[in-house]
Amino acid sequence: MRIAWWKFLVLGVLVGSVAVTGCKKKPKAGGAFGDDNIGGVMGTDIYGDPLDLRPGEGARYEEGQFSPVYFEYDSSQVSPSERGKLDSVASELRSRSNVGLVVEGHCDERGSREYNLALGERRALAVRAYLIGLGVEGSLIQTKSYGEEQPADMGHDEGAWSANRRAEFVLFY
Amino acid sequence: MCKKAFFVSGIIVLASALATLAQVRVTKSAGTKSVLNWAGFTISQSPGAREFYQTLEKDLTRSGWFSLTRSAPGEFSLQGSCADDGGSLKIECAVYGAADQKRYLSRAYRQASREAPRVAHRVADDIVEAITGRKGIASTRLAMVGTRSGKKELYLCDADGKNVVQLTRDGTVSVAPKWGPQGRQLLYTSYLKRFPDVYLVDVGNGARRALAKYPGLNTGGALSPNGRDVTLILSKDGNPELYVKNINGGALTRLTQTGRAAEASPSWSPDGQRIVYVSDRSGRPQLYTISRTGGEPVRLTSRGFENVAPDWGPNGLIAFASSIGGTYQVHVIDPESKQVKQLSLDGADYEDPSWAPDGRHIACTRTERYRSKVYILDTMGDPPVALTDYQGDWYSPAWAPQ
Repeated sequence: MRIAWWKFLVLGVLVGSVAVTGCKKKPKAGGAFGDDNIGGVMGTDIYGDPLDLRPGEGARYEEGQFSPVYFEYDSSQVSPSERGKLDSVASELRSRSNVGLVVEGHCDERGSREYNLALGERRALAVRAYLIGLGVEGSLIQTKSYGEEQPADMGHDEGAWSANRRAEFVLFY
Repeated sequence: MCKKAFFVSGIIVLASALATLAQVRVTKSAGTKSVLNWAGFTISQSPGAREFYQTLEKDLTRSGWFSLTRSAPGEFSLQGSCADDGGSLKIECAVYGAADQKRYLSRAYRQASREAPRVAHRVADDIVEAITGRKGIASTRLAMVGTRSGKKELYLCDADGKNVVQLTRDGTVSVAPKWGPQGRQLLYTSYLKRFPDVYLVDVGNGARRALAKYPGLNTGGALSPNGRDVTLILSKDGNPELYVKNINGGALTRLTQTGRAAEASPSWSPDGQRIVYVSDRSGRPQLYTISRTGGEPVRLTSRGFENVAPDWGPNGLIAFASSIGGTYQVHVIDPESKQVKQLSLDGADYEDPSWAPDGRHIACTRTERYRSKVYILDTMGDPPVALTDYQGDWYSPAWAPQ
């Protein structure tokens, strides 16, 4: 019986890579992979990850380092297609000292302003939870919701709404 | 009984009737108005007196209770005069019921001529209260968010839309103004210090203090009817939840615990025992009520795609916005019976309702083609009336309780 030799090679590479990086344990609380599907809205169980103190009044802020992460309508789940962006944010934060991050959560214009403040905050918290899951210190990450108050796109169609359902990143020192 | 005794007892009854003013109360079913004849009310020809007259006419009409006439006989008659002695207005005013011949109001007023609208508002409110028993709204004010400065700031105006005054100059974003119980304090959310925090502003002297500036989101500030506690939506513990905070001692009580859901938009019941708020714990935003001390929430709404922005009125009814067929419309729900009535109906979006202290009118945001203005709705059938017609967007009105 001929065994495909290349399968052993692939297996060897896989085993080797696991051995090198180790198993990444995803914490249960704070993980972004909540798989409870409530009424069609995937919930992120971020309960219990309290926020630390905000940056002081003298802090300096830096925008534009990272691309925004986008969300589905009425969802605060970090979708698989957006996770790569957060991998970059995490590795940047892990490689620098004395820098923190504000995650700013936004919504499109539909829905009430007050509810959108809360939804925007849940988006920011979901991103924070995912970053914590990637090993970033929770105390470094602040959340800030703008609700629907600061759209990126002033249009009124699905194109604009998609562009507005987002989390943006601001570094602070 | 003998004629003499009858005559004497008649005199006694009449005397006591004249000695006391009639005690209210005229109730009207939706859509009907009391005809108020004011042919017996005269004014002098000065600008101040004319301004008084025009303002009084508009206020009485906007109250919704009356149809004014100078010719037809009315259910009620308003008699009196407005004289101007060159600097100050002297007003005398009496209201009589046609059928019962009772006097419902008898009062004199004095005001500087240049403040004619202010005294006209007072007279209108006194007439409304004397005849209907309900509070008048002519002397009241509204707060709202306006964008005409290029930023989102808080503004005040009178109930007829006049005297627009800019209250904040934060230079940033203001959200969700709500009045304190005495109409002297406004709570709102501002990004003044870069993050969303809840502030309390004294409208008289402009003094402000931060009520909540915890890490994360601070919003949902609303003062209880006794002025001692404030609701808050805070995310400091990891998720936006509903809290109540004592504004003097600072003791903070968490009311909700929904790790996978968001809470928003709290509003106090008139007796200060319960709070209505929005939660999406069922998958979509719906209204719930909860005791001010916490415990099991009671779900109020289940129909409609989204039910948001509740305001618990002095009459015990809750106004809110419901997303139906692609637009938001203002509805009113009785939390006891859970009966719902739709108030607004046209192609525009109607959101952010706020009850007037007369328990009859509701201010709200009307958005059409993405431009927003504040409108006044009537729960007794009068058509919507625009309050603001100024440059910029105007929205999130809050009607002062007094």
